[in-house]
Amino acid sequence: MTATLGHTAIIMAFLAALCGVVCPIVGSRPGLERYFSFTRTAILSQFVLVTLAAGALIYGLIATDFSIRYVVFNTTRGTPIYYRVTGLWGALEGSLLLWEWILIIFSGLVAWIYRHRQRETMPWVLMVFSIVSAFFLGVIAFVSNPFETISPVPLDGRGLNPLLEDANMMTHPPLLYAGFVGLTVPYAFAIAALIRGKLDEAWIVATRRWTIIAWFFLTAGNLVGAWWSYHVLGWGGYWAWDPVENAAFMPWLPATAFLHSVQVQERRRMLKVWNLSLIIIAFSLTIFGTFLTRSGIISSIHAFSSGPVGSVFLIFLAFVLLASFGLLAFRADLLKGQPELDSMVSRESAFLLNNIVLVSALFTIFLGTIFPLLSEAVAGTQVSVGAPYFNSVTVPLFLLLVFLMGVGPMIAWRRASWDNLKRNFLWPSVASLSLALALFFWRIRDFLPLLGFTLLAFVVFSILYDTGLALRARRRVAGEGILRGLVTLCRRNQRRYGGLVVHLGVVLIVLGIAGSMGYSTEREATLGLKEHLSIGRYLIQFEGLKGTQQPTHFRVEGSFRVFHQGTEWGILSPALKFFPTQQSPIGRAVHRSSPSEDIYLILSGFSDLNQNQATLKVLVRPLVVWIWIGGFVIALGTLLAILPLGKASPEEK
Amino acid sequence: MPRRKRFIVGGLIILAALSYIIYGGMQEAIVYFVTPSELKAKENTSTDKFLRMGGMVVKGSLQIDLKNLTYRFDLTDGSTSFPVFFRGVPPDLFTEGKGAVVEGRVRADGIFQATTIMAKHAEEYSPHADGQDGYPKSFVPGKELTNQ
Repeated sequence: MTATLGHTAIIMAFLAALCGVVCPIVGSRPGLERYFSFTRTAILSQFVLVTLAAGALIYGLIATDFSIRYVVFNTTRGTPIYYRVTGLWGALEGSLLLWEWILIIFSGLVAWIYRHRQRETMPWVLMVFSIVSAFFLGVIAFVSNPFETISPVPLDGRGLNPLLEDANMMTHPPLLYAGFVGLTVPYAFAIAALIRGKLDEAWIVATRRWTIIAWFFLTAGNLVGAWWSYHVLGWGGYWAWDPVENAAFMPWLPATAFLHSVQVQERRRMLKVWNLSLIIIAFSLTIFGTFLTRSGIISSIHAFSSGPVGSVFLIFLAFVLLASFGLLAFRADLLKGQPELDSMVSRESAFLLNNIVLVSALFTIFLGTIFPLLSEAVAGTQVSVGAPYFNSVTVPLFLLLVFLMGVGPMIAWRRASWDNLKRNFLWPSVASLSLALALFFWRIRDFLPLLGFTLLAFVVFSILYDTGLALRARRRVAGEGILRGLVTLCRRNQRRYGGLVVHLGVVLIVLGIAGSMGYSTEREATLGLKEHLSIGRYLIQFEGLKGTQQPTHFRVEGSFRVFHQGTEWGILSPALKFFPTQQSPIGRAVHRSSPSEDIYLILSGFSDLNQNQATLKVLVRPLVVWIWIGGFVIALGTLLAILPLGKASPEEK
Repeated sequence: MPRRKRFIVGGLIILAALSYIIYGGMQEAIVYFVTPSELKAKENTSTDKFLRMGGMVVKGSLQIDLKNLTYRFDLTDGSTSFPVFFRGVPPDLFTEGKGAVVEGRVRADGIFQATTIMAKHAEEYSPHADGQDGYPKSFVPGKELTNQ
């Protein structure tokens, strides 16, 4: 019953999406303009139908309707209610439905918000949404159906992958999908602009907020993924350059580049083709990511089992690339005659350089991700490209990016004069170089970390110094104090100050990555009762094992008393969880954070509960906590940039 | 310099720099995958090279010294087996008779010194064959669970 309802809704939504694709084409014929208005109806009816279908699947999961195959494989009678709901994205079929649902929510919002504006453009924007939606609905309806039934109806389900039973998994996939889908909005406006041949800055201005929101979701999705990896996977790391992680990270790079380069176009009418290409690439990468992770061509811990879905995504990817770049080539003569760079020392060229670096990073990561495929196809040799490749190629690029973060927002447009450079950068440079000297004499002697910390300090100093100058001007002009002045500055130029706060968040994240990459230590040992091991400033003593039966699994916990420089910190209890449906246990690592470093305990094995012997792995990872704090700072900065706090900027009225 | 030429020169410099870091990165990080038979066949030539070897852990070959955390076992591809030595903690899924991939080098004495062990995940989640709910008395990666 539920299954029939859901599947019918999907098929009807698919038909509505097809209407949404055809209507604007019909409407563009003279005399048939009334068909234009149906594009919005098509989107809104898809919204209702897909919401109905998603609701049906969620209902099936909550009510444990085991006549639906998907429910059997993603829940059990013992599963708590919130994990029944998250079962929606526990496997491929459901997560496609979730993706489509978020897509149609975004499309519906766009259709609603612009119901009185952009009358000429909207039918084409909504057509692009309908094309993407039709693809997903087609896949859900005919290739990977979450409403497939099973008979005979089993008594109990087999349950969610236990690794997904974690609070972060409730947020990670929806955030990431919201990021992917969010990129569809600027993409749709770009394609609509190309179709209509109206290639001024209107599409960029209209999608400014959407782009920032999409970028934020992408960033948050990746960070929560890293947090989950650190928290749950229990290997002590947060990023492994696994193909699936790369697939989620790659769209972030052109999206970030786009966020910066559109400002050049808004201000100077340059980089038109570049911006269109960036958004096409960013959107294509979201499709490519799904192809990569769902086709089974690359092995990864995150990949679901393979099926025909991969090849369908590959076909759609080819279609997107051909159609988009074909359209771009068709409109090439409208995109000619742009202003040129005035000087290499200017904000334009700093942003351009930022774009080149980001796209280079994208290229190197892309190459590393697909290299095993190429090698096997071309030379027939099986190789793997490990984390060292990605680290060694991306570290110099990201350091350059950090440097540009300190320069770009402050340097003058068009042509920076010597005076301008001296005014903005003399003191920040002096301050960060002094700090570098101090760090060197303290203990940091390695080149890369030293360079990294210096550049990070440069960014912070240049942001603080610039804000300080602006505050001084406020005092002179309006007699405002520091707090009052800050409020005025932020309200007058939300995007700028929001962006600077985001940059500070990025600085914190890079700080955390640099610290944990460069200075981590680890030890492992098998300990008997009351035996200890020491690592760095810590001493860890084994206090015994405890086994308890939990609702879904049996849990063996080791107790370890942690001493930090002689003072007792209390007990940390890493555990191993034994699920009846799993062949081997799932580790539950624990860690304790402090601003300077995390201590991270993994129970890797134990011998006989009564004999009390445990194998323990301990990691000390400096500065990790700043990665997560940086994430919150980025969220703050994003809010500052998009909330309607002060006067709306004139272009958006 | 005319604009076009400047553009090309700039592009070439960027490309060259990029190729350099990619080439350098690949030199360090590409790891070839071999089977035990392939490795046996070219044992003399490929010592000292960082490799990945995949196969099945031979039943009965695994010797664990828990106190020193050392593992010795043979990895087989069905026809040939290769001795492996590992110090550390293997992943939870690592066990006799199951697939595993090891990363490391062949030592002078012909034993593969692994720095990492990766265990193969089962494609689908499946319940224990015996289906019992009893909890484990001990768990040492590499050994079958001993149930109460």
